[in-house]
Amino acid sequence: MVSNKSFWVIVIGAIVLGIIIGAAATYLTAGKQTVTKTVPTTTTVTHTITSAVSGAEQAATTTKTVTVTTTSPAETTPTEKVKLVVIGPWSGKSAEYFKAVIDNFTKKYPNIEIEYIARRAEDIAKTAPLQFAAGKTPADVIITPWAWWIVEMAKKGYVLDISNLINPDEYIPGIVDKVTYEGKIYGAPFTMWLKPGFWYRKSFFQKYGLQEPKTWDEFMQLLDRIKKIPGIKAPIATGDGVGWPESDIVEHFLITFGNPELQLKLINCEAKFNDPQVKEIFKKYLVPLIKNGYFSEPIEWTQAAELWWNNQYALYFMGTWITGRVPDPNDLDFFPLPGSKGVVGGADYAFIPKFTKNLEAAKLFVKFVATEGQAYHVAGPAGKIPTWKKVSIDQLWKPMQTVYKKITERGMTILPDLDDSVGGDWQTLFWDQLKLLWADPDKVDQILDTLTQQHPACKSK
Amino acid sequence: MGLLARRKRTKIILAFLLPELALILSFVLIPIMGTFVISFKTDHGYGLDNYYGVITERSPDKALVIPENIVKAQPPPWGALIHNIVWVAIHVPIVVFLGLGIAYLLHDVIGSSIVKSIMFLGMVIPMVVGGLLIRFMFDGDLGVVPLLFRKLGIEALSRTWINYPQTALIALILGSVWLWTGFSLTVYAAALESLPKSYIEAAKVDGASGFQIFFKVVFPLLKHATIVVVIMTMLWDLKIFDIVFVSTLGGPGGATNVMALIMYTYFARALDYGRSAATAVILALISLIPGIWFIKRVMRSGS
Repeated sequence: MVSNKSFWVIVIGAIVLGIIIGAAATYLTAGKQTVTKTVPTTTTVTHTITSAVSGAEQAATTTKTVTVTTTSPAETTPTEKVKLVVIGPWSGKSAEYFKAVIDNFTKKYPNIEIEYIARRAEDIAKTAPLQFAAGKTPADVIITPWAWWIVEMAKKGYVLDISNLINPDEYIPGIVDKVTYEGKIYGAPFTMWLKPGFWYRKSFFQKYGLQEPKTWDEFMQLLDRIKKIPGIKAPIATGDGVGWPESDIVEHFLITFGNPELQLKLINCEAKFNDPQVKEIFKKYLVPLIKNGYFSEPIEWTQAAELWWNNQYALYFMGTWITGRVPDPNDLDFFPLPGSKGVVGGADYAFIPKFTKNLEAAKLFVKFVATEGQAYHVAGPAGKIPTWKKVSIDQLWKPMQTVYKKITERGMTILPDLDDSVGGDWQTLFWDQLKLLWADPDKVDQILDTLTQQHPACKSK
Repeated sequence: MGLLARRKRTKIILAFLLPELALILSFVLIPIMGTFVISFKTDHGYGLDNYYGVITERSPDKALVIPENIVKAQPPPWGALIHNIVWVAIHVPIVVFLGLGIAYLLHDVIGSSIVKSIMFLGMVIPMVVGGLLIRFMFDGDLGVVPLLFRKLGIEALSRTWINYPQTALIALILGSVWLWTGFSLTVYAAALESLPKSYIEAAKVDGASGFQIFFKVVFPLLKHATIVVVIMTMLWDLKIFDIVFVSTLGGPGGATNVMALIMYTYFARALDYGRSAATAVILALISLIPGIWFIKRVMRSGS
C-alpha cells in the first residue's frame, strides 16, 4: 500500500502536472497572430465567371458572364499574404457554387488566401459560443442563416459592429433589420433563397393534362386528379429534415389564408398560434389535407426530392435551391397556393467575430460577400437571388430568373421565415410539433396551445 | 520488505500514477467541477434556479417528467426522464436474456465465433451510423420491420415507425437492442467459457433436464456477468443520445426525448448553459445510483 506521505505527493504532483498540461493545451490551441499591413487603394473590378457546375443539366452549363463594376472608396488591402478562415453552411454542390465567390475574391485580393470550412448552422452555434467565451474564434468570418444567433452573440459582445461596411438602403427592405441590434449592424446579408410554393415537373403535368390551379377548389380538384394517377403514392411529398420542410408548408398556408401581415404578427406574438384565425387556417385547410392523405408521410427531404422527381409524388414544397439540385431545371415549375400574396425568403449572413486575428482582410471579405460577391453566387445554379439591390435580375441564373419573374408578376411580398426569425429552442419545438401534427392531426389544438405557450415573445408579454 | 525496496516501490508507483492522475484531473475532474459550478450560476449570483427550472419545465422538447397539455391529449409523449426509464425497463431485460440465450445456444458450437462476430458488429458501428440504420430499418418504404408487418397484414405497423409518437420510442429501443446485444453476448460467452464443466456434468449425472441445468446451475453461476451486463446497459440507456439525435431529434412532439437530449437542447439551442449543466448534474446523479450499487457489489464479491 502507498503511505500517507506518498499519497499526498501523488495528489500534489498530479495537480501540478494537471495545471501544466491544461496550460500547454490552452497554449497549443491558441491561434497564431498574423500581422497585416494595409495600404489604401482604389479598385475597379470586372470579372468573368464560368458557371459550369455539374448536376443541374444544361441550363447550368450555359457560360454566364457576370460583370460587376464597383468603384470602391479607399480600401485597405494587406500587402503581405494573409490566410483567412471562413466558415459557411454549404457543403457538396452548394459549396461549389460558393467557391465562385471565393475565387473572384482571391482574384481581386491576391494576397488573401481563403480556407473555407463547411459547418452547419446548428454545429457552429453549439461550439463557437464556448470558443468566444474563451476569447478565441474558430474562423475570421462566419456565415450562417441564423440571424437570431448572430444577434445573441452580438448581445454578449462577441461580434464586431459592421455598420460602416454596408449601406442598409442598398438591400431588400427588412433584410438588414434581422441582424441589427440597438441600431448597430452585426451581420452582412449574402444571397437569399425563397420558398415560393409547390414545385412540379412540367413533363408530368403535360403527360396527365394537369394545370396550375387558380382557386382553392381547383387546387383540391388537382390533388384529387393526381391521387388517381397510377403509381402516385400521394399528391404532395412531405420533406423532413430536422422538421423544417413541414414548417415551410405551414407558413405558406398561414400567409395565403391569413395574409402576409399574419406571418409578421406571429413572429412578434402580436398574433398567437391559438388565435381563432390561425386555428381556422389549420382546421379548415391544412388538417383535412393531412387527414385525407394528400400529403405523404414525412420523408427525409433529399430522399423525398428524389422520389418526387421520379414521379412517385407530383408536388413538392421546397425552397428555390431545389432548382440547382434537380437533373433538369428546365422541366421544373412551381405554383403558390391560389391567392397567396407572400413568399418566405431568408438570407445567409456573414459576421466577424471580435477575436479575429485578420480584421482588415475579414472586413474586405465580408464587404465583398455582401455586395459584388452576390453576383457571382446568383449567376450559378445555387437557386438564390441577391439581397443587394445593385445586382440586376438579368445576372441571375436563367431558371431563377423565371422563378423571380413569376413571383413578382403575382405581386408576392418577400417575408421573413417565421421559425428562423424566432429562433432558439422554439424553432426546434415548432418543427417537432409540426411532425406531431403530420402524425396525429387530431392533436392540432394541443399543438397550437404548446406553440403559443412556448413562444418567447408571448412568454415575455 | 526493506526500507530501500519500499522507497523504490513507492517511486515506481508514483511514476506510473502521476501522468494518469494529471490527465484525469485536467480533462475529467476539473470539467466536472466546472459543470457543477455552472449549474448553480444564475443571473443574480448562485442558487438553485437552474435546477428548479429544469425540473418544472413543461415544454415538450425539454420536459423532464410531464409535458404541458398532456391532460388534453393522450401520451406519449411523456417527459424525458420517463422515456429513459421506459428505455431501461424494456431494453435491459431484452438485452440480458437475448445475449444470454444466444451465448448459451452457441456455446461449444463449431463456427459460433462467426455468428458472435457478426452480432458484435452492432457494438463496433458508430452510434451515429446506428441511428441512421435504425431510421432506415423502420422506414415505411425501405425498412425491413414495416415490410415484415406489411406481409403479416398489420397495416398499423407497416408505416414509418419513427414518424408516429405511438411507435417512435419503441422503434429506437428495439434498434438499440440490435446495437447492444453484441455486448451482452460477448460478456456471457466469455463467462460461459470460464464455467467449470464439472458442475454441468454433475447436474446431468443427477438427472437434471436441460431447462433445469440452465436455470438452476448455469444462470446462478453467471451472476457476475449478469451484474456487469445489467449495469452497463442501464448506464448506456441513461446517457443515450446519439441514436435519438440522428434518427428523431426527440420527436415527434417530444415522444422520444431523453435526458441527454434535453441537456443538448439547453446547451445548443437555448444557449442556456446553466440549465444544461443542471441537467448534466441530475443525469450524473441518477446514473450514480446503479453505478454505486455496482461498485458495492464488486467490492463485496472481491472481499
